[in-house]
Amino acid sequence: MRKPEFIYVTYIETTPEQLWEALTSSKFTRRYWFDTEVRSNWKVGSPFALVMGDKTTDTGAILEADPPWRLSYSFKHQWFEEMRNEPATRVVFTIEPHGGIVKLTVTHEGFIEGSKLLGAVSRGWPAILSGLKSLLETGKVFAIPPAALGIEQFN
Amino acid sequence: MSKPEFIYTTYIETTPEKLWLALTDGDFTERYWFGHRVASAWEIGSPYKFSKQDKTTIAGKVLTFEPPKRLSYTWDNQKPDLAHERSSRVTFDIEPRGKVVKLTVTHDNLDDGGKTFSDISGGWPMVLASLKSLLETGQPLPPMSSPAA
Repeated sequence: MRKPEFIYVTYIETTPEQLWEALTSSKFTRRYWFDTEVRSNWKVGSPFALVMGDKTTDTGAILEADPPWRLSYSFKHQWFEEMRNEPATRVVFTIEPHGGIVKLTVTHEGFIEGSKLLGAVSRGWPAILSGLKSLLETGKVFAIPPAALGIEQFN
Repeated sequence: MSKPEFIYTTYIETTPEKLWLALTDGDFTERYWFGHRVASAWEIGSPYKFSKQDKTTIAGKVLTFEPPKRLSYTWDNQKPDLAHERSSRVTFDIEPRGKVVKLTVTHDNLDDGGKTFSDISGGWPMVLASLKSLLETGQPLPPMSSPAA
């Protein structure tokens, strides 16, 4: 039986340092993460929040921060009614040099069986990480309308 | 119980037509698919193959051909140690999403616990990352050691 989790691997022509900054700086995330700010001081134990406009969509705490190689935080959804009651999950970013480029692995785990949140993040991460790769490689990113993701609550 | 299948979605700043060409043209695939050229008459039922330096690496037949929306083919890795694994299936779905194109690759009909599954799970992210780079920047990713095709 496979665990309910989401894993995504991509390869980006960038440096580990730039990728780390793109994951932890709102200046970057607002451009590729549906205009979302990431709020944290990125120290282990510190709070973490994703803020979209005036809505705090997700909160958690920093579990690991080893710049520029590994970052993880707990992730509790706060916005959509039917996902708000699910327990906190965990997001892990692993950054590895791969030849002259960088391999990024995102693991989102700790979902309950039948999780609605897992369905939503499985649609969200590929769009976010595609935008991240475009931004780092080309300096620009075309916004993907959230409604295009098929996450019904966004519609 | 979930069957072993691999699904990968990426969004690329391109058009469905260019993406279609990138998936079906040998000169194109050679650039981002780490030297592997695809060749086929691209008719339903016709054979296709990937080859590198004149050696066939992947072969199969075309199952679906609906340009520029949906392509699928059977997938038989030609490595001798994979000969006993069953023929699997690859499907590419292309959907316009505003100024970008959503590409979903589904690789299914895989043997449970087979080597093909682990090979392609490592290989597709490399190939599709390189494809996205080529279409968006004009340059593929530099050579990587790929376990799959």
